[in-house]
Amino acid sequence: MSKGVLCFASNNLEVDYVKQAVYFAKRVKKHLNLPVTLVTSDVNYVDRLNVRTVFDKIISVDKEKQNQKRFYDGSLHNKLLSFDNASRINAYDLSPYEETIVLDIDYILFNNVFLNCFNQPHNFLIYKDAIDVCHWRKNPEFEYINDNGVPFYWATCFFFRKTNEVQVFFNLMKHLKENWTHYSSVFDLGTPTFRNDHIFSMAIHIMNGYKDSNWAKPMPGRKYFALDRDVIEVLDDDHVILLVEKEKYIGEYTLASLKDTNVHLMNKLSLGGHV
Amino acid sequence: MDERLEKALDFGNYTVTFNNQKRLLTEKFYDDCIAYQGGGRFTLTREFLSYLSGLKNQKRAVIIDDNDLPVEINDLEEFCDNARSQYAEAANQYFKSYKEMIANRKPGALVGYV
Repeated sequence: MSKGVLCFASNNLEVDYVKQAVYFAKRVKKHLNLPVTLVTSDVNYVDRLNVRTVFDKIISVDKEKQNQKRFYDGSLHNKLLSFDNASRINAYDLSPYEETIVLDIDYILFNNVFLNCFNQPHNFLIYKDAIDVCHWRKNPEFEYINDNGVPFYWATCFFFRKTNEVQVFFNLMKHLKENWTHYSSVFDLGTPTFRNDHIFSMAIHIMNGYKDSNWAKPMPGRKYFALDRDVIEVLDDDHVILLVEKEKYIGEYTLASLKDTNVHLMNKLSLGGHV
Repeated sequence: MDERLEKALDFGNYTVTFNNQKRLLTEKFYDDCIAYQGGGRFTLTREFLSYLSGLKNQKRAVIIDDNDLPVEINDLEEFCDNARSQYAEAANQYFKSYKEMIANRKPGALVGYV
């Protein structure tokens, strides 16, 4: 069966996602030795950077209607910028591989634990639980998507095999997306803003029969994350050093580091300075 | 700033960073204790290794994995050996990293930032 990694990158005014995707693809090559397909609405920019060879395939998509969100760079600086995140639910149709790992480009690889996706029988894997690099923060928004106990799943990182059952799941997400205003209200999200984590969580909840169940199994290893309030100080081959916001001291930081551990670094503005 | 207060605040910073870094090392140890075999996922703990020791006269066994699914292990001896050595390697790495950490008395040095 063909295997590979799928990633998405479409630039906005401040964040060079394509450049970050190049860095990401190089790390995938190093740690997983898998081909990477890039889905982008900025193919011309990819050509201008002359980086086509980094990718196995480049799939051009139209620019979606973009959402706006506040991008933080540490706790005191932020900008309201657009972002394009709607293609993720089309990963099943877009992927040229029978077995695909889909990763956010800000998911920085330091090891090969994801290769275990291919040696197990489950057709859809995704993280439900995650570890904040900073232990004093409470993140209830990463536990449930609403107050009714629908569990939160991380759409930043998942694995699927092309099977009928998984296709049903992705088709369900297309239906949810087409009727987003309705379903965001039914699921009591509190906001109509589209978010991949939410649509994946809702679809998994439905696939589970509206119960807390385990249709979706966990990805190999465990997921670590740093918020966009945290600043990347050092990022090299085997470790990352972060400035993490201190408890109750906005704008003050302490240090944390991770070695040989995959980590989702949400501060895209800071990540841009290191790739 | 009063020198006494400054020193106390410095130590407070050190403690915060130390405790967080210690937690990350512990989590890393747990990560390193996850084994994948026969399509199953197994978290290696002292209890699990002890359970495996009790199966030492068997050639094969069905073991329940982290997803509560049965996994057939056809070469139990190899699985047990690999599990024990993976756990030992993870513990050694944890020990080494922890020793390095407690040898450093400044927040920057704790995380290898010098």
